[in-house]
Amino acid sequence: MTNHWIILFIIVPQVTGILSVLLMNKIRAQRFIGTLSFVFNTVFSIYLLLEVRAHGTIFVSQMSDWPAPFGISIVFDGLSGLLVAASSMVALGCYIHSFSLMHPMTQRRYFHPLIQLLMFGVNLSFLTGDLFNLFVSFEIMLMASYAMLTLGAERRQLTQAYKYILLNLIASTVFVIAAGLVYGLMGTLNMADLARIVAEKTAPGGEGLPAGFTAVSVMMLLVFGLKGAIFPLWFWLPDTYYTCPISIAAMFSGMLTKVGVYALARTFPLIFAHGAGHSMIMVIFAISAAFTMFLGVLGAVSNHEVRRILAIHVISQVGYMVFGIALMTPIALAGCLFYMIQHMVVKSALFLCCGIMERYAGTDDLYKMGGLLKRDRLLAVLFFVAAMSLVGLPPLSGFFGKLVIIQEGWHIHWWLSVLGLATGALTLLSMLKIWSYGFWNPPKGQHVVVPTGAPRPRMLKSGYFGVTLLVLTALFLGFGAQPVYDIAFQAGEQLTNPRAYISAVLQYDIDAPPHEQLAAAEHDAEVVDPMAVVADEREEATP
Amino acid sequence: MMVSSIILRTSVRLILPLSLLFACFMSLKGHNEPGGGFIAGLVASIAFCIYRMSFGAEALLRLLPVHPRVLIFTGLGMAAVTSIAPLLFGLPLLTSRVGTIRVPLVSEPFHYASAVVFDTGVLLVVVGVSVGMIMRLSEELE
Amino acid sequence: MTLILAVCVAVILAVCIYLMLGRELKEVAMGVFLLSHAAHLSIIAMSRSPVLSGAEGHDLKSAPILGMGSQPVDALPQALILTSIVISFAVMGFLLTLIVLTGRRATTLNVDDLAKEQLPTP
Repeated sequence: MTNHWIILFIIVPQVTGILSVLLMNKIRAQRFIGTLSFVFNTVFSIYLLLEVRAHGTIFVSQMSDWPAPFGISIVFDGLSGLLVAASSMVALGCYIHSFSLMHPMTQRRYFHPLIQLLMFGVNLSFLTGDLFNLFVSFEIMLMASYAMLTLGAERRQLTQAYKYILLNLIASTVFVIAAGLVYGLMGTLNMADLARIVAEKTAPGGEGLPAGFTAVSVMMLLVFGLKGAIFPLWFWLPDTYYTCPISIAAMFSGMLTKVGVYALARTFPLIFAHGAGHSMIMVIFAISAAFTMFLGVLGAVSNHEVRRILAIHVISQVGYMVFGIALMTPIALAGCLFYMIQHMVVKSALFLCCGIMERYAGTDDLYKMGGLLKRDRLLAVLFFVAAMSLVGLPPLSGFFGKLVIIQEGWHIHWWLSVLGLATGALTLLSMLKIWSYGFWNPPKGQHVVVPTGAPRPRMLKSGYFGVTLLVLTALFLGFGAQPVYDIAFQAGEQLTNPRAYISAVLQYDIDAPPHEQLAAAEHDAEVVDPMAVVADEREEATP
Repeated sequence: MMVSSIILRTSVRLILPLSLLFACFMSLKGHNEPGGGFIAGLVASIAFCIYRMSFGAEALLRLLPVHPRVLIFTGLGMAAVTSIAPLLFGLPLLTSRVGTIRVPLVSEPFHYASAVVFDTGVLLVVVGVSVGMIMRLSEELE
Repeated sequence: MTLILAVCVAVILAVCIYLMLGRELKEVAMGVFLLSHAAHLSIIAMSRSPVLSGAEGHDLKSAPILGMGSQPVDALPQALILTSIVISFAVMGFLLTLIVLTGRRATTLNVDDLAKEQLPTP
């Protein structure tokens, strides 16, 4: 169904970003329009999701009115819709949190425009239906993230930033080369069109995929794997999230890796996991999921700094998502999607809690913390709910994500399911470590900023508000898992059987008998053959 | 850094207006032929950079008295407005409108495309970004 | 013609791998910028242009524009390359600024020395 307004998810952050540069020195005005933009995105995406859930609609808008395979399509379906909603929510929480927990000087350095630019890139990469446009949106997102990583330009930030920037630059180059190869091999970059061609060629009696397709698939796996921090491409992640301001780290941990995982979940079931390399790629996914899950959590257990524990946990949970993709059944993909959105919300909430904990202790080293339970009950409750959601205790949100993936995995890769359960236990261990050292232990150390019994600092009010918002969302995902899963199952179904997606984007009925299709295609060609249009214009212009 | 060569200074006086004119030509030609806002912007910013190299930062400030940030945001604003406008008419983002109008006193009908405004926006952004970048980087190096 | 492009890509890749393995930040940055050029050339080679494959009626002098030669050339790879150039231009600006910023704080731009040196925080 055509709906041109879905582009607002991209336009609103962009325009807000431009406006907030104009309002450079008026921090309150910047905050106001920034919050407004995120609230709008959240509300609008939930509104559209209700429609998706009720009728299974796929909203499509073709940029510049070019028909589908020629122009860029923007697609809002269950998969991208849920992710856009979750990322807007996370952005809102982190943004509000940053008002009180980010140093005012750092906030003046283009932080407000940059966060809008980041959301612009993130939303575009969720919504775009074009492989090259996915590259462009990755770059927009990465440009914003480079600048946000170096905000304040401390020494350790700079050295970590080089690692992150150079790695991502190399990955982007590989992406460009791979996109060029896809165009050379298949003649199109539109994901729906690619899915159609792949389905046609791999069908029984089809001519088979061109040689070199597997190589392209592996290149794409490399690129998206690096962005998503899957084994063995994760090494950049812990240090990067360790150094930047906490609200930004929360946002990055919630969104950036998930964009990489989203790209895997979108393109591999549709396009790249087919043909001669299918079984090999599935094995790579399974092995990578195992190592990502288990080694990630081992790293977390062995650390004693809250930020580092949380950052390394991101890797471990990316493993569960890759596990879902490795199974590639509709239900497993739905579980992967659900796990992705709950992880975005919960992980960001934990990082934001960590920001407030650091305010109390002056450090994020667990050995120097303690006594937070007595000092701040609200924070303790918020942290406990978020941590237990991450671990996956029923009836909190993480449980439903893991349940579906592990249950589905039992029939296909039982060993991965066992590993997943073990990882869950170790996750519980590391969360309890933070809990007992940070909250239960008696207070110690001379770093204490706020003395025992003192009221919570008034300046942190918006910080608590941000965390509460995200924890409430996490609770909703747990207690209201059913409506979310309705959409997720639809999305999983559409990924493994992309007929609906292809028909919606290319705007013709793929199930129609061949002669009708041909007629429709000819009709399209008559109306808008781009070459013909250009030629006409030329004739017009040069009499 | 500043190169004080009499040959460069004399020739830059000639090159600058010519390249700006060439940039205008490129950006208008871009509708049907190679060219367009991005390339025109690069040509113009190269001209500004040579000017800065031969006459120094103050001279460039006199020539281009606006902060590069202003250029960038005028350009972005123009591009944003022209790309959003079609949404209000129920068309997708970025849709361009092409047509001809008759201007009084001119015999030839005038061919227009709304994409020109977008392209001009791109031109301004490119000039703003590259001039701003060169100015800051050369300040640092001096 | 495709062979020439392939050799060019190979040479550029060799140069930029050499540069990126260096210990100077500036060299590493140059290596990364060259890398994007190699990618652009490889897209050109993938574009199945009649000019490159030496099809009838085409020589390298005729511009690859609709209506100027006998056969139009697919414009999409060129659009991709232009987009990619713009992006790498922006990233280059950012990375150079970052290096200048680091250079102002530190006495060296050598990666190993930089890791040891204690930079003052502003």
